[in-house]
Amino acid sequence: SQQQTTDFNYTPSHQKPFIQPTTGTTVTTHQDIKQIVEVTLGSKGVLNQAVKLPKGENVNEWLAVHVVDFYNQINMLYGTITEFCSPVTCPRMIATNEYEYLWSFQRGQAPISVSAPKYVECLMKWCQEQFDDEAVFPSRKDGVFPARFCDKVVIPILRRLFRVYAHIYCHHFNEILELNLQTVLNTSFRHFILFAQEFNLLRDADYGPLLELVSELKDRE
Amino acid sequence: ILKSPKKLPQDFYDKATSNKTQRLVSVCKMYFLDYYCDMFDYVISRRQRTKKVMQYLEQQKTVNNVSATELNDEWYSYLQKEHEVLRKRRLKPKHKDFE
Repeated sequence: SQQQTTDFNYTPSHQKPFIQPTTGTTVTTHQDIKQIVEVTLGSKGVLNQAVKLPKGENVNEWLAVHVVDFYNQINMLYGTITEFCSPVTCPRMIATNEYEYLWSFQRGQAPISVSAPKYVECLMKWCQEQFDDEAVFPSRKDGVFPARFCDKVVIPILRRLFRVYAHIYCHHFNEILELNLQTVLNTSFRHFILFAQEFNLLRDADYGPLLELVSELKDRE
Repeated sequence: ILKSPKKLPQDFYDKATSNKTQRLVSVCKMYFLDYYCDMFDYVISRRQRTKKVMQYLEQQKTVNNVSATELNDEWYSYLQKEHEVLRKRRLKPKHKDFE
């Protein structure tokens, strides 16, 4: 467990007192992330504008397009670090030591602890099944969205997709930095939270370990 | 950031410089570049189209004295077309099968 407390790339400030790095290796990654976000994301409100519902458009269609887009973005991002996120490096789907996400394989059965790659695999498959379901994500011209599409489909998917960002930020951010993908990750995540904010899709509790980073990104103009 | 010690796996650099990882990284960067260019292009051109349609309808109302019902129908048929375009964007084949 000593090892677990030292592999955070992103650490919420309230957890810092509990982490005791060995002398000479003080990690100020939270500060580092802030700086990087500062540098890479400019200050124009372009994304804030882009998430707004176009005049006269059906809100469900707008939500659906974005859910699929974020799914694809996360697939791309996670795809680049699959070499570094294995059942050995990440035997549990965690984001800092405070958050572990479990997967429920069968309705009515208790969700269980799985490795991070297994969790992501299950999650992506679960999303894809819904996208392929004509009754959930209609593809035909005359196809309509199910009742309470936002509450029953959009929010549950976004809540889970968020966890992949959380795992990447908390446990693979240094690798992302080395691969020079921080701009891409930050842009994608910022777009995600601005979209969620615009349509009131996620609550503070859903942001768990990244709540501080989220408020940082939200406040930017 | 240069000062903070990075807790990277021992074989990180071997894997990071491998052809496979390099390819995934460049595909990822291209994907995002392409995505955001396309997304902003869509959002901006859609706004311009809507603006033109509204101007046209306004003109029909004041100059040609077209009835409100007809204008309404035209507006909704325009929205329907935009809706179909948006739905197709969700269904277009994505690069997700890249690996």
